[in-house]
Amino acid sequence: MKKFWALFFFFWPTVAIISCVIAPSRGWWFPSPPMSRTGVQIDGLFYLILIIVTITFVATQYVLAYALWKGATKESGSKALFSHGSHKLEIIWTIVPSFILVFISLSQLDVLAEIRVISKFPEKATKVAEVTARQFEWRIRYPKPGTELTTVENPGDLYYVNELHVPTGKPVIINLRTQDVQHAFFSPQLRVKQDAVPGLVIPIWFDVREVGNYDLVCAELCGWGHYKMKARIVAQSQSSVDKYLKQLEADQNADGTKSEAAASGDE
Amino acid sequence: MSLTPSLKPLALAGFLSLATVIAGCSDSAYQSSFVYSQGTLSLMREAQDGTKETPGVKKLLDDRFGDPQHLKAWGKLPVDFGGTLTSVEEVSESEPGNKIIKLTVEEGKSLPMKAGSVKFVTGACSGESVQVSKWNAETGEATLAIAPSKEIAAGDACAVDGGTVLSSGRMLYMRHCSHCHGTSGDGNGPTARYLNPKPRDYRHGVFKFTSTNDMSKISRDDLSRIVKYGIPGTYMPSFLLMKDDEHHAIIEYVRFLTLRGEYERKLVAELSSDFSEVAYDSRLKAGEKKPEIQSELQEYLAEDLKESASTLGDELAEIWSAADTEEAAIVPSMPRVTDTPESRRRGRELYLSKTLNCADCHGIDGAGNGPQTIAFEKNPQKANELYNEPGLHDIWDNLNQPRNLQLGMYRGGRRPIDLFSRIHAGIKGSRMPSFKNTPHEDIWHIVNYVLSIPFESDPGATAIAPSAAAESVAAPALVTAPTPK
Repeated sequence: MKKFWALFFFFWPTVAIISCVIAPSRGWWFPSPPMSRTGVQIDGLFYLILIIVTITFVATQYVLAYALWKGATKESGSKALFSHGSHKLEIIWTIVPSFILVFISLSQLDVLAEIRVISKFPEKATKVAEVTARQFEWRIRYPKPGTELTTVENPGDLYYVNELHVPTGKPVIINLRTQDVQHAFFSPQLRVKQDAVPGLVIPIWFDVREVGNYDLVCAELCGWGHYKMKARIVAQSQSSVDKYLKQLEADQNADGTKSEAAASGDE
Repeated sequence: MSLTPSLKPLALAGFLSLATVIAGCSDSAYQSSFVYSQGTLSLMREAQDGTKETPGVKKLLDDRFGDPQHLKAWGKLPVDFGGTLTSVEEVSESEPGNKIIKLTVEEGKSLPMKAGSVKFVTGACSGESVQVSKWNAETGEATLAIAPSKEIAAGDACAVDGGTVLSSGRMLYMRHCSHCHGTSGDGNGPTARYLNPKPRDYRHGVFKFTSTNDMSKISRDDLSRIVKYGIPGTYMPSFLLMKDDEHHAIIEYVRFLTLRGEYERKLVAELSSDFSEVAYDSRLKAGEKKPEIQSELQEYLAEDLKESASTLGDELAEIWSAADTEEAAIVPSMPRVTDTPESRRRGRELYLSKTLNCADCHGIDGAGNGPQTIAFEKNPQKANELYNEPGLHDIWDNLNQPRNLQLGMYRGGRRPIDLFSRIHAGIKGSRMPSFKNTPHEDIWHIVNYVLSIPFESDPGATAIAPSAAAESVAAPALVTAPTPK
């Protein structure tokens, strides 16, 4: 029975090694491959931490299992060794982890700055829309085609809800704000996550690599309807976005007369 | 085994959570029911419950609408309950006990592509539902999985997959809507108490933001817009990502609940003047005898109410079907007037004019602070009594102050046609009246002005010269003071 437990503790670090080796190629860790440039870097950080944690976990578990095995195979009647700790050991296991933590925090600074520090935003990035979270939906405001997005509303701005159209292949900036409580703009596939804080306009940037529909959900428990904040980011070519905005403008200016409907291709 | 005592509470907790899970999965845990309105409950007990021979209001309602677990499709109503109504053309048997029925539909309609079950509506098997094991969409031949208990005859009407839209609508409604709008659509779900404005109580049959004329009901398209895009400025969120068939099912279920509530109101209206508890008491005081009133009620239930139970359904069917027709839709006679400073200026003049008097509620600069917002309104529910708080109220008895037009928040939509409809038909159920007699050109001027208000640097000052404004401003309506108690 003693040996069983020793083997039991050998077994788990072995499972951990296997799963950590297989998982990345199988896509077990993430909902999809990273669909934005910063997403690739964020995944890199994740894997860095994964490697450190796996090595630490496996090493300590094997030491534990080895100690158990030694104990299990000892002759019965042999005396246990009493130890009152070791200063040397304690210093080692304090310094080594703190070096690891400092290493992790330094190695992610560049990526953090790129994502969060406004002066580091890509120069070509264009402001495409303002996204206002509220209980429980995402209100989108695009600037009037041909004008710049500002933090205040302007005549001719285009409004929609729960569907954000962005161009692919270029960095875009979203102004994030909230009407009520804290929410978080989270797109799992794009690896974008940013809290929306009452009273602040927070710019976030990302670039989408491929055309497609991506999830936009709320990642900050914002109330009983939190789960309802399910929206869609539609990434498409710049010309398709322009076409979409043109249609949106026509719809928003609809005056209910027949000619208008026919002209805009609606109904 | 010294561990046993400490394991006991753990095992108990495990058992309890398992028990909860099992209980939670049973149907009984989700039993829900439709509530009766205050109107119904204010009637004499005999009018609510009826007798063995004559149904009361509750039974009339339950017979036609059922309860959430057993919804009923009252064919008369303009609701797409789902399924196709067919009739049996011929019955055959390929081998003993293996019934095949050939189904036909009315001319102009088509047989469904899929068939899971048929439910007999008339004939000996009326009410029975039978699974279909094989379906031929071209010939209409359905092989029944089991033979029904009684004989099927040619000419029996049966519904293929009847009620599927309604039942899926119910599932979606319970998941997404009922916590605010309530199981019965009474706007009184568990989360409703935390909301301002209150969720809509459908049972009046009135919805505020429509594209239909002032006297018409809301159309399916309007409901669809509300479900898809939400109502900014309220707690109604957008359900844009739902699939089209889900939108359709929810809208049909909302119509079902609305019709149930409106039907109930109409039944109650027939009875309440003579047979409410209050009326009963005052009749007793006036010297009438209890048995007399009782027998009068019996007679009324047996004859008048029985008849109106059917005609009221017809009336509802007519007005609700009419809402989806072209005649009901508001179509401006001219395209929007170009949005020029002159047009806005004209709009502002009209806004301030005595005839339209928009400023009386919305305020001179559109801030939603007109004199009416501080006046005490009469409470229509209680004769000669004023509301406790100043301001305008809607038919749901909620304080419903005029919109602050400076915010640029348009609950009924921000398209010019939306604003046109708000002015043309008014906001139903609220104190925003219909201005359908105003020339369409003038309405467009007002629309242009209203849309410009949020962007004015000094609202109310720039768009019109002060002298012109002073000339056309209506005298503020008299502010009624609250009566001292």
